[in-house]
Amino acid sequence: MFKLFVDIWQGIVSIFKGFVVTGRSMFRKPVTIQYPLQKAAMTQRFRGMADLRVEKCISCLQCVRICPTAALDLTSVTNPETKKKALESFCFNAELCCFCGLCQDVCPTKAIFLNALYEVAYYKRSDVTAIDLMAPDKYAHVGVLAAGKGKP
Amino acid sequence: MTPFLMEMAWLVLKGVMALTFIAVSAMFLIWLERKVSARIQNRVGPMITGFHGALQSVADTVKLLLKENIVPTGADFWVWWLAPFFVAVPAIMVFVCMPFGPSAIVCDLNVGILFMCSVTSVSVLGIFMAGWGSSNKYSLLGGMRSAAQIISYEVPLLLSILVVVMEAGTLSMQGIVHAQEAGWFFLKPNLLVAFIIYIISATAEVNRVPFDIPEAESELVAGYHTEYSGMKFAMFFVAEYTNFFIIAGIAATLFLGGWLGPLAPSPVWFLLKAYGIIFFLMWVRWTLPRLRMDQMMSFAWKGLTPVALLNVLVTGWLLVIKG
Repeated sequence: MFKLFVDIWQGIVSIFKGFVVTGRSMFRKPVTIQYPLQKAAMTQRFRGMADLRVEKCISCLQCVRICPTAALDLTSVTNPETKKKALESFCFNAELCCFCGLCQDVCPTKAIFLNALYEVAYYKRSDVTAIDLMAPDKYAHVGVLAAGKGKP
Repeated sequence: MTPFLMEMAWLVLKGVMALTFIAVSAMFLIWLERKVSARIQNRVGPMITGFHGALQSVADTVKLLLKENIVPTGADFWVWWLAPFFVAVPAIMVFVCMPFGPSAIVCDLNVGILFMCSVTSVSVLGIFMAGWGSSNKYSLLGGMRSAAQIISYEVPLLLSILVVVMEAGTLSMQGIVHAQEAGWFFLKPNLLVAFIIYIISATAEVNRVPFDIPEAESELVAGYHTEYSGMKFAMFFVAEYTNFFIIAGIAATLFLGGWLGPLAPSPVWFLLKAYGIIFFLMWVRWTLPRLRMDQMMSFAWKGLTPVALLNVLVTGWLLVIKG
């Protein structure tokens, strides 16, 4: 009989503990943000779309060789006098990319890197499968170093 | 204009005001529920429509108005079709004797609280009709659970109201409010017990957490209103939140002194008390887990009903001693 009353009392106390917990969280700052209006900052090591600093690329083809899914394709022309290679086209296939980040690790001049953009849905298939990294102005998800596209 | 017509026009006007209040109150409560739940879970709730999502319920209503009304195959059509009215009409009828102020009442019946209790009991019929007519196992289970639950919790609910009636010596809602001019009823120990019993069993009456077994969404989809869509669903929803306001309003009137209060006008006091109880019950909803069916039934019959009966007995003794 005594145990019954102890049980009842403990039950009441536990209910009020629950109220204290929920009541306290009513005055806490919300953890959510208004997504389409506000966007959370991505971390430093976030691996988004491949992006290129065109002027730094020396066409060494290391990124093309290391890419496990062959998502990168670049062509270059050699200048017959200086023997230096000049980039002719740099094509990135985001559909094949597995976002492993090996290309940015292997790049000796830090020309290729993965940016912090994540809203990369497009209406045209070619905007995903054949991204011309030489002309970043055509896309919203590459060329983050250009003006008005946010930080890399 | 003849006096009779004047009186009729005045009654119609009061009825229209009550109906407007019901609609606005239900919409406000839906918004409040979403906001309170969001804050308790550290979210922000609806923010896009209007100031802090104030027009969210309007947007929801427009959406529900435009939706198709789907009749399930194999439904018992007339039972299915009539069920929302059986739930919504009693909820609206109760506002006939809801005292918002000394004169702000549609009609002060001399059997006010009895009328309210008997009318709200009809809604269980509508809930069971909805469960039966939908020809869906979840709906049927929800409807049956709801019938069992509402009928069980009606007993302690009415016994706790009986204590108030004994103390006030009248069934009229205004009479009960006037009886509290000396002191609000919940300040007396036996009426405080009745108040607690009333709040618990009223929570069960309106199928809210922790007694939301009839519409337990994780086991029964939505219970009895699973198969309803469009405005029929909206009627269930409005009836649910109207019933929610009704139990808070009755609690405010019977135990917290109704519209009595200093300084502010009487309807303000009534709404303040009612919405205070509503806020508390929303807090309960987002804090406590759902009870099991057998736990809930044994709590009603083995816990609340004996205590409520004992309370009636003690109140009777006290009244006899006082003379």
